[in-house]
Amino acid sequence: MITMQRITKTYETPAGAFNALRGIDLEITSGEFVAIVGKSGSGKSTLLNMVGGIDHPSAGSLSVAGASIQNLSHNELASWRGRSIGFIFQFFQLLPTLTVSENVMLPMDFAGTLPRNARRARALQLLDRVGVADQADKLPSALSGGQQQRVAIARALSNDPPVILADEPTGNLDSETSAEIFRLFAELAADGKTLLVVTHDAEAAASVSRTITIVDGCVA
Amino acid sequence: MIAPRWRKVLRDIAGTPLRTSLAVAAMATGAFGVSMILSSYSVLTRELKTTYTDTRPASAILILDGAVTDALVDAARRVPGVADAEARPVIGGRLRYGNRQWLPLILFVVRDFRDVRMDRITGATPIADDEILIEQSSLGITHANIGDRVVVRTSDRGEHALRIAGTVHAAGLAPGWMEHAATGFVTWNSILRAGAGVESQQLRIVVSGDRLDERHIREVAKRVESAIGRNVTRIDVPTPGRHPHAAQMDTFLFLLGAFGALTFALSAVLVANMIHALLVEQLRQAAIMKTIGASTRQIASLYLGQVTILAIIALAIGIPLGISAGRAYSSFCASMLNATITNAMPPLWIIACEIVAGIAVPLLVALGPVWRVSKISIHEAFSNGVGLRAFGTRRFDRWLARRQRLPRPLMLSLRTAFHRRGRLLLTVATLAVGGAAFIAALNVSAAWTRTLDADARARRFDVQASFGRSYPIATVAQALATVPDVEHAEYWIESGADLGDTRVSLIGPDVNSKLLALPLIEGRWLKPGDDAAVVINQGVTDLHVGDDLALRIKGSDVRWRVVGIVKELWPTKDVYALPETILRATGQPRDMTRDVRIVTRRHDAASQVAASKAIEHALDRAGILVGGIRALDDARQSFADHLVIIKSALIFAALLVVLVGGLGLTTTLTLNVIERTREIGILSAIGATPGTIARGVVIEGIVMAILSWCVAVVVAVPITFALDAATGRMFIRSALDFFMSPAAVAGWLLLAVVLAAISSFHPARRAARLTIREAIAYE
Repeated sequence: MITMQRITKTYETPAGAFNALRGIDLEITSGEFVAIVGKSGSGKSTLLNMVGGIDHPSAGSLSVAGASIQNLSHNELASWRGRSIGFIFQFFQLLPTLTVSENVMLPMDFAGTLPRNARRARALQLLDRVGVADQADKLPSALSGGQQQRVAIARALSNDPPVILADEPTGNLDSETSAEIFRLFAELAADGKTLLVVTHDAEAAASVSRTITIVDGCVA
Repeated sequence: MIAPRWRKVLRDIAGTPLRTSLAVAAMATGAFGVSMILSSYSVLTRELKTTYTDTRPASAILILDGAVTDALVDAARRVPGVADAEARPVIGGRLRYGNRQWLPLILFVVRDFRDVRMDRITGATPIADDEILIEQSSLGITHANIGDRVVVRTSDRGEHALRIAGTVHAAGLAPGWMEHAATGFVTWNSILRAGAGVESQQLRIVVSGDRLDERHIREVAKRVESAIGRNVTRIDVPTPGRHPHAAQMDTFLFLLGAFGALTFALSAVLVANMIHALLVEQLRQAAIMKTIGASTRQIASLYLGQVTILAIIALAIGIPLGISAGRAYSSFCASMLNATITNAMPPLWIIACEIVAGIAVPLLVALGPVWRVSKISIHEAFSNGVGLRAFGTRRFDRWLARRQRLPRPLMLSLRTAFHRRGRLLLTVATLAVGGAAFIAALNVSAAWTRTLDADARARRFDVQASFGRSYPIATVAQALATVPDVEHAEYWIESGADLGDTRVSLIGPDVNSKLLALPLIEGRWLKPGDDAAVVINQGVTDLHVGDDLALRIKGSDVRWRVVGIVKELWPTKDVYALPETILRATGQPRDMTRDVRIVTRRHDAASQVAASKAIEHALDRAGILVGGIRALDDARQSFADHLVIIKSALIFAALLVVLVGGLGLTTTLTLNVIERTREIGILSAIGATPGTIARGVVIEGIVMAILSWCVAVVVAVPITFALDAATGRMFIRSALDFFMSPAAVAGWLLLAVVLAAISSFHPARRAARLTIREAIAYE
């Protein structure tokens, strides 16, 4: 599902060139639930951004969900991302002016994956799956952190992507909620989704099928 | 059902009322300014032309040496090419109400008030032979009311009491209050005509065919001259289609247009600023949308849609208000030019243009920021300080960082202002365009005042009197010697000549006269021995120093060499020559005069008026018929009144710019503070008091205001130059002298700093009062 070969990422900064990733080789198969761990600044988030097409590698080749994403144009990348990747962030990143259900419908709106009149039903179904269907018509600001992250997960699933990427998804949540979120991830993996989760939470990371440790931009 | 993305757009608009209202206010103010100017411009251009052409102005005026009879008029009407003809004798005289001062008066004799065929008047009713109809713009300066009796003195010295029967509107005439002369209409058998008065016997014709072709008009007038078999002393052809005050109209319409363009530019920069600010706030959300699959085109269409909605709201507010204000301003301007507005609604195509521009301009200026937001990478958008280069990466930043002796809050404000280059540039540009327009408007206004003052200073006499006929200089001098206020008098030779088809004045001041010191545009002034040399003013066109001036004087052709060109305020065609030169050409006697220029002992306006009365009394006693007497201050005031409409356009433009620019400053600085809410939270977290934060923000606003002022002063220079040149050439046929008004420069600095302080203070205080948690969580 995800293949990385000799991936390197170098940033030019006022202090000089900084190598965030140094020749990463990685193979992740469909249905795997992978935790990426490492210290701050080790390159975990950079690696995740490469997989999601948020950032481009400086060198190497990368294939995700059957696409060589370094060859895609800006718009092709957006379209591919909408259908193939579900993103989950530490700070949820829900659009504050849209209701919970509208936030979940938005990716379908952009990708045009379902007929317009079927999108709300799909959103409610996903919200029900993550346990926040009763909050569907509220604005994100009315929800707790855990509830917002569940909405973010529902949104990530709205176009039924094969790959889910989560960057510190529990970094802003208490331990009980974090455990619930990881249980949800495990269910998704069991359903065949490929999950890559960047986390500092060692306890939560224990529930994954594989752990990849990044040290100074390399796989340890 | 509206798609979620469009619901987001609507909720973004409704959910951020402060930002939305600021953006709408900025756009609406721009729409208001442009709409007001365009409405005034289009309504005035249309209505002034219509008002004038509706009077059916005479194509040519033939001045005869005898009475214009009905038979002669009929003969003229039969001439091929003549659409109509009418007799319209004109009587020059003076009018007085009660014990007030005599006022110059021009009276038109009308054959039949029910059948006025050209140079039409409205509101006329049949009147008795001892009555007069006063042109409505003259009634005020007579100080009389309808029904009052006024005394009219014509040049045959006869004095007649006439009752003011009413007022009429003669849209083809210049307003009396501006000319400082009254205009009236009397019957064919008026008691004024009983004596052997001196009348200008005028036969007016309207040509058929192309009424705007001056050559055609002259050909037809010549045909009339041949057909009527009478001696025609002069044929005047007013510039076809041009109102007597067309130069004034052109000047102020040009100013309206110029400031309309400046307001448009200012609005565009302001709108660009607003949209930039709105979209910077949306970068993170755009990145989120990209993360979940939105394409560049989808994001761009969302934000362009948002801009369109805001623009439509702004237009709905700005255009109706602009049209209303434009109607009021048009009515004011029309009254200044003795015209009336019959339809104050701007043409539909103007409104359509305003709507198209009101939507297209925001969309055009939004393209850049929208493109940037749509194309920004998710990685960049999620990182801190989107679009910002780290402070210290530029040479200027490092220079600023070395300024360690400045107080720390000021240092922080300066660095923050210069860190956000794009924001700084747009803010400074908005204010600079507004400031430049404001300064230029006041500069041009001051340049006109200075030109007026310079012209008054160049004429170093206090009173000028003209007589009904020539008198011996000794007789006049003897009469003036009895007036204690008179210090010095000069008797210049004056006559007229034809320069091609136009009439010029010949003026022969004493060769050693100190009463005239007109500014030279080219060449030199007259000196003794300049036998066949002349100095012309800028009104005599297409001639330069060294050229020959060919004139026809009393049937003879003369050629005089132009040695100098002077600048005068009144755009009449004047030719100055030594008295002997004029006497030789005209054959006038040297010891006779029709004109005297007098220096009084005191030179203030009141003393000039008092001296005028005493001089007139003395001349009257000596049996000298005074045709007109005018204090120099009155002449100056008359020209100043001609400038009222031009100055009104400039003040109107300055106020509009203050409104648009002031609102621009307020909205821009408010948005600046909103953008920095998170940063202010961090400052609070590390111990900055609300007072320190507010002070810093206000200082930052003032720094921007001062920077913009510097740019505005520089930009105002070419704008002022251009406006001085254009308006001067239109009105007095010579560019105005460039003048940078210190009051305008200082005024804008003060205005910008005060506005900056006021507009930053409120949002700064608001931000400083937020709790640290609120500020840091702010999105």
